[in-house]
Amino acid sequence: MNSAPFNAWKLVSLSPLSPWALASLLALVGVGVALAVLGLRREPALQRRMVLWALRLGAGLAAAFFLLEPGIRNLQVARVKNRIAVLVDRSASMAFPAEPGGVSRSTQVAEYLDSVQMDLAALQDRFTIEYYGFDPELAPVTTELLRKQAPRGNKTDLLSALRSVKAGEQGSASKKLSGVLLFSDGADNVELSSGVAGKARSTLEELQVPVTTFLVGREGLKDLAVEQVKVDDFAFVRNSMVVEVEIRGRGFKGQTIPVVLRREGQTVASKSVTLKSDDDLQWLSFSVSPDQTGRFVYTVSVPIYPDEAVTENNSRSFALKVIRDRVRVLLVVGRPSWDERFLRALLRADANVDLVSFYILRTMSDEPQVRSDRELSLIPFPMDEIFDTKLDTFDVVIFQNFGYTDPQLSVSQYEKNLERYVYNGGGFAMIGGDHAFGEGRSNFPVLGQALPVEPAGRTASLDTFKPRLTPEGLRHPVTSFSQGASNSESAWTALPGIPGANITRVKPGATVLLDHPFQSVDGRNAPVLALWEYGRGRSLALTVDSSWYWAFAAHAGGSPSRHYDRFWGNALRWLVRDPDLTTLTVTADPPSVEPGRPVGVIVAARTPDYQPAVDAQVKVDLFSVKLQRPVGTQTGVTGADGVVRLEFPPPEPGAYKLFGSARKGDRGLGESEDAVAVRAVGPELSDASVRADILESIARFTGGRAHRISIGTFPEVPLLDPPVVEVGRSKDEPLWDRWYYLIILVALLGTEWLLRRRFGYI
Amino acid sequence: MISQPIRRRTILGALAALSFAGRRAFGFGDSARFIPAVAQHSGRWDVRLSGLRRLAWELQRRTSVEVVPDARPFPVSSPKLFEYPFLYMGGDGEFPPLSGAEIENLRRYLTFGGFMLADANDGSAGSGFDKSFRREVARLFPRNPLTEVPSNHVVYKTYFMLDSAPGRLLNKPQLEACNFGKRATLMYSQNDLAGAWSRDEGGDFEFEVSPGGEPQRELAFRIGINVCMYALCLDYKDDAVHLPLILNKRR
Repeated sequence: MNSAPFNAWKLVSLSPLSPWALASLLALVGVGVALAVLGLRREPALQRRMVLWALRLGAGLAAAFFLLEPGIRNLQVARVKNRIAVLVDRSASMAFPAEPGGVSRSTQVAEYLDSVQMDLAALQDRFTIEYYGFDPELAPVTTELLRKQAPRGNKTDLLSALRSVKAGEQGSASKKLSGVLLFSDGADNVELSSGVAGKARSTLEELQVPVTTFLVGREGLKDLAVEQVKVDDFAFVRNSMVVEVEIRGRGFKGQTIPVVLRREGQTVASKSVTLKSDDDLQWLSFSVSPDQTGRFVYTVSVPIYPDEAVTENNSRSFALKVIRDRVRVLLVVGRPSWDERFLRALLRADANVDLVSFYILRTMSDEPQVRSDRELSLIPFPMDEIFDTKLDTFDVVIFQNFGYTDPQLSVSQYEKNLERYVYNGGGFAMIGGDHAFGEGRSNFPVLGQALPVEPAGRTASLDTFKPRLTPEGLRHPVTSFSQGASNSESAWTALPGIPGANITRVKPGATVLLDHPFQSVDGRNAPVLALWEYGRGRSLALTVDSSWYWAFAAHAGGSPSRHYDRFWGNALRWLVRDPDLTTLTVTADPPSVEPGRPVGVIVAARTPDYQPAVDAQVKVDLFSVKLQRPVGTQTGVTGADGVVRLEFPPPEPGAYKLFGSARKGDRGLGESEDAVAVRAVGPELSDASVRADILESIARFTGGRAHRISIGTFPEVPLLDPPVVEVGRSKDEPLWDRWYYLIILVALLGTEWLLRRRFGYI
Repeated sequence: MISQPIRRRTILGALAALSFAGRRAFGFGDSARFIPAVAQHSGRWDVRLSGLRRLAWELQRRTSVEVVPDARPFPVSSPKLFEYPFLYMGGDGEFPPLSGAEIENLRRYLTFGGFMLADANDGSAGSGFDKSFRREVARLFPRNPLTEVPSNHVVYKTYFMLDSAPGRLLNKPQLEACNFGKRATLMYSQNDLAGAWSRDEGGDFEFEVSPGGEPQRELAFRIGINVCMYALCLDYKDDAVHLPLILNKRR
């Protein structure tokens, strides 16, 4: 039972009648008064008229009083306290020292709140004070927690925190927010990072809550930071790319700072910047040309100086994927032929191919019948340039029926270059003909080492034949024209026969994709298309000089055929190690990891026939570039799509390689690698500065005040104070049921009746 | 000396040498060599076969290209055309319209990589072979009409540096062509190119060349070789690596 006394009342009608019935009766009373007025309008004596009018009006009011049944409703009310939210920034930058050598900004907030505890307590008779930390999610916080638990939020989002605390008053049971006390270093790196303007300003104004800000921390800390690195997500191999770097230095006026760009530990470029003021921001850019495809971790760093507030922000890593621009192909042709013509047309039509070609149009025995070489459009064969200085700029070199022993056309002195080019990662294809594969001309004794076949010492076969797809060829991406092996086989069978082939012997370790159905060498069918990996490179041998039949003669039947295009397209992609043609791909997910976050990796495995490898055993090593050893290993099993995602616990910041391998049963599915950068600092820790301007703007646009934290001093804090009343219990006391009210009504009506009789109206 | 007269014995010897050349020495059979196919239409299509043979011989002698000198005549509707990407179509006088199958086969041949050199052996303009051929081109490629080949086209520098395309006559200094994109799939001369190349059975040149005489005949051979080189190498001489030297020679 609630025994608390009533502390408020109000006048109410206790009539049981419905409002419309009550209104009708009151209207009748009004009509009665009006009729009296009309009936007395001819009364000459003003005094009589006024007396009778007053009596009728009084009787009407008395009747209305009884109809309305007025009463007193006694109430018990309680005043609800509004809320004050104390918001404390829990982003990682609050772990910076509030001043050089001092406590952290977070601890300083705790000390301040303790020091003004009495002032805050004084507010508690009117307000409920709630304490929240935001990182940027709101969570209850205490001064003890502020001291003991280091702030870790990876971003500062002041606007989001204010929105969240305002949203807390939604719902009937919640209390209104009267004000916010915001403790932060102001280093917002989300919506307010570039200041308070536009939509952000509107949002603050729409809060309709005064936000009083308390700036924590001090400007003027000594700090050097790689504040920002701008670089594309990918770069083209052998093309220059620009890495733009923003260096911020506080307290380094006049000093020249060396800035170094490293790729996985190796210095790629270095520059220096001179900081002109005590808070200076300098831009510089590095222009580098990656020489390999793949993903690499680059790091931009500046030295660590004594007394720096933060040292973790002195370097910044990023992962860069280096891809091919266009496949740069060098086509060297022994003499013009239809085989050359159709291959050239194909390569020239491919937007992804940058073709450089050299044809031997005239040999020493040819007689062009000219008086001067100026009558010819021929140029000297630039062997030095293409086989020495520029050789490494090509992704693929194709020798098409090329091989001369003439001193002016022989490349014997460059054979070693070519062999090394393949060994070091280049792609090489040799196409047959009467100049190739030992057909009486150059045998390429050195370059031949890089080829998957060798001359068999026999003359070429001149019989027309249809190359036969080997079991390896059925599944290999070079000769596979479609998903199903049977489709590829039928496609190859449908192609026209080829008039002749070089007879060669396949080397151990090489893979034969097409072979000759009739010619054999050492008991095996002679290879027509063979390939292998040589060192880090790949080479391919096609022992026919009429693959153009697949391009042109195949159209004789009237149905267009694209198999020639697909075959050479596949061959080029295989030679340049197109990632889509590998059976195993390892991909860092994401390629750059924020500090403290796990390293994810997605492994996609395919079987040799390029179907998803289900239930394949996958193993990935996380290899530290700095330590030059694996620092973690994860294993998993692929799902129905041949894909599995693995995760490594958060490693130390730095550059890492991911080496993956997969097996299914006893069969290996290949190896692959990727790179991942684990950043030393996220955006939160890259800048130790405080942003008083942001806090001042927040206070200004919300009607609050901006203060700097000062231990023991609790400044003026604007707060909304709308009293909010809540009904507890009530009790009605009728006023109309007094006997004297009835006497008054009867007396008024009786007096009017008596006077009307006396004045002759009745 | 631009062109030294060739002895009959030399020619016959060379032809014999070609025909007896070991198969091992010249690639795998005929497919590796340059062999002109000749379009058999219903008119007088075979009046310059000796000229084609002579051109092939010159191509063999002057360049690294390996040839089979005897042209291979085929009906225009023959699927065998697709083994010979170079097709010569000449004629003396008008010829009846090609059949639908012939047009279709020829269109497919030229679309998928074949090349045709057409040659008005009668030197006609607006009549004779010229009239019939233009009619057929309009049927072949209604949207790709014949246009004049500009003097900076690669065909004028594929082997010899030239600026015109004379034949037995010089009715029009430039060739005409139908282009598929950047590729000329068909080139046409009204100057009777093959007439300048033709020799009789005795080994003498069959026709006088006018108005330029023997120097014009040499130019006719050169443009013939350039056209063959264009068919074989396409725009090779437009590659950037050649441009400085070619521009220098043009000066």
